[in-house]
Amino acid sequence: MKWFSTYIKEMKIASRGFYFYVEIVIAVIVLIILLVAVKEYPESKAKEYIYYDMPAEMMEQVMEKEILEGNIRVLEDTELTLKPTSFELLDKETGKSEAYDFMEEKSIMAKTYEVINQETGLVSQTVYIFDQKEDMIRLSNSTGNMGASIISDSSGTLSYEYYIQGYETDRFSEVLYILHTFVTDDIEERMNQQTIREIGGTERLNSRESVIPVYIAFSGALMGFFIIMSYVFLDKSEGVIKAFAVTPSSVWSYLLSKTFVILTTVLISSSIVVIPIMKLKPNYLLFYLFLGVSSFAFSSLGLLVASFFDSISKAFGVLYLIMIAFMLPAFSYYISSFDPFWMQFLPTYPILEGFKGIMKGEADVSYVLLYSLVFFLGGVILLAFANMKFKKTLTV
Amino acid sequence: MIHVKNLSHSYNHDGKLAVNNISFEVKKGETFGFLGPSGAGKSTTQGILTGLLKQQDGEVIVAGYNVKKVQNERFNKIGVSFEQSNVYSKLTALENLKYYADLFNVPTRNPKELLKLVGLDGRENDRAGEFSKGMKHRLTFVRSMLNNPELWFLDEPTTGLDPAIAAVIKDIIKEEKERGTTSFLTTHNMYIADELCDRVAFMLDGEIKLIDTPKNLKQQYGQKLIDIEYVKDGKIMNETLKTKDESDRAKIADIVKSYDIQTMHSKEATLEEIFIQVTGRGLI
Repeated sequence: MKWFSTYIKEMKIASRGFYFYVEIVIAVIVLIILLVAVKEYPESKAKEYIYYDMPAEMMEQVMEKEILEGNIRVLEDTELTLKPTSFELLDKETGKSEAYDFMEEKSIMAKTYEVINQETGLVSQTVYIFDQKEDMIRLSNSTGNMGASIISDSSGTLSYEYYIQGYETDRFSEVLYILHTFVTDDIEERMNQQTIREIGGTERLNSRESVIPVYIAFSGALMGFFIIMSYVFLDKSEGVIKAFAVTPSSVWSYLLSKTFVILTTVLISSSIVVIPIMKLKPNYLLFYLFLGVSSFAFSSLGLLVASFFDSISKAFGVLYLIMIAFMLPAFSYYISSFDPFWMQFLPTYPILEGFKGIMKGEADVSYVLLYSLVFFLGGVILLAFANMKFKKTLTV
Repeated sequence: MIHVKNLSHSYNHDGKLAVNNISFEVKKGETFGFLGPSGAGKSTTQGILTGLLKQQDGEVIVAGYNVKKVQNERFNKIGVSFEQSNVYSKLTALENLKYYADLFNVPTRNPKELLKLVGLDGRENDRAGEFSKGMKHRLTFVRSMLNNPELWFLDEPTTGLDPAIAAVIKDIIKEEKERGTTSFLTTHNMYIADELCDRVAFMLDGEIKLIDTPKNLKQQYGQKLIDIEYVKDGKIMNETLKTKDESDRAKIADIVKSYDIQTMHSKEATLEEIFIQVTGRGLI
């Protein structure tokens, strides 16, 4: 009952304070950004500039064939402005370079097509057809988009010249070399003969969903860690801990009530983002269990750190270091090639992995339960230490 | 109600003692004043008695409980009014008192009645953060009365209050004494101590220099004085003369006989003057 009174009091104070609304407002902002600005499957609308070095009739035949097959769609001609520029063009085959110098600004009209991805039906590329090769090279240089010259010899065989920026990887250049070494029909046949298996499960999170594990991990764990410290320092500055210490209630119930305030806030703010985005995909029982225990563990850590300092300004150095260290696993999450062994010892690593699995709807239940137990026990131990330390630091 | 024997305390365990081997007792129903300047060791002693500071050496029994053992139920019998106001600024005055009332295992007083007692009626639903310093102090003061404490620790209970409110606070302390409450009053204000305390302890540099009743101290250390204002050769003259000094007594008789007396008052030595006489130091 005393614990409950303290919890209700803490909720009243939290709801009349700044930090409670920070979490809620951030959650609403994140939700709006994800729903409005982050597409589930972002379109990669690259631009490509092409010059056909062939008779006009032949080029029209090629384009008509593509249109009929539904590979491209005709758009209105685009007016393009070519600004004055100068650059050197290096031929990778011969090693010779050629200087270009354009002094005058120039406007041209380019035939414009959209390339359609047959699988998704989405536009994957916008292609501009140039009448002059020089114009194609000039715009490719100034915009950073790739240019290509398609040449037909007298026998009708096509060859390709690509104009790239120079910073592309060797792998990309190699792909361009082999791209047209097969007859087009062969490519599809050969692709069908290949088998590609993905390591790490079948379910994928789309662009919008893939943000959720990171948001939940850092909002639930790190914000809980930071905000509970703020609450404790606010109480210290008001001296109310001393007043509490001369009542029959235990410091333990005070600390536990603080932790439950954080849990309540985290559950609300996480639900605001997760439910509308993920809908019924995750196992919510597992999600709330994992969220609860991980948040509890980090809140307890926040209490322990707070017990060593008088004010948030004195604790800031330690607070900053801990938060930076715990954010590191986010690099592994987004850059799969960066996954050093030591990273797995940071507690936010299993939190991210756990939430990723839960959000995919294919969580490794034993992994989540094991770490739930670890975080719960860790939280209890940290809270016990915080309790001992707080008893010693209630100075007059 | 309070038994302290050979109590010492060092903050840094470096041999420098904030409290140095003090012993005293406070009887049930007594108002005991703990007097001394800042840094004398008053707050450290009160911190140990209230359990806010860990006891290091000596023996301390408070309200029947040995403070070395963690027994939170002892706080059902104890009330502590802090010198610095420490209330939840985001809670209203009433919420503050109701919350703390819920923490006790004994029947508690009606928060609204307590607020009325210190003139905060009508402000029950205002947040404490909007209160003036004096109002916060009054709220802190009545909070310590919630559990009808048998033993009441009062740390500078009237400091920073205007005279009218200070008088109200003093009256409440007197009323509680009538009801049998034991009070441990920590202050550097000798007038308050003189008015409220049955016995006082003078503390300086962590040591208790003496313990006695204000009356005994005045009899032992003080001298009765007479302030006389009279007219001599057209000028107003002032003299303070000792009633026990023969030459002064003769001078008083001469002044009364020969001059026009404007005012004449008898005066006792104050506790502050006695403190200076005993310790050689002032109270600030």
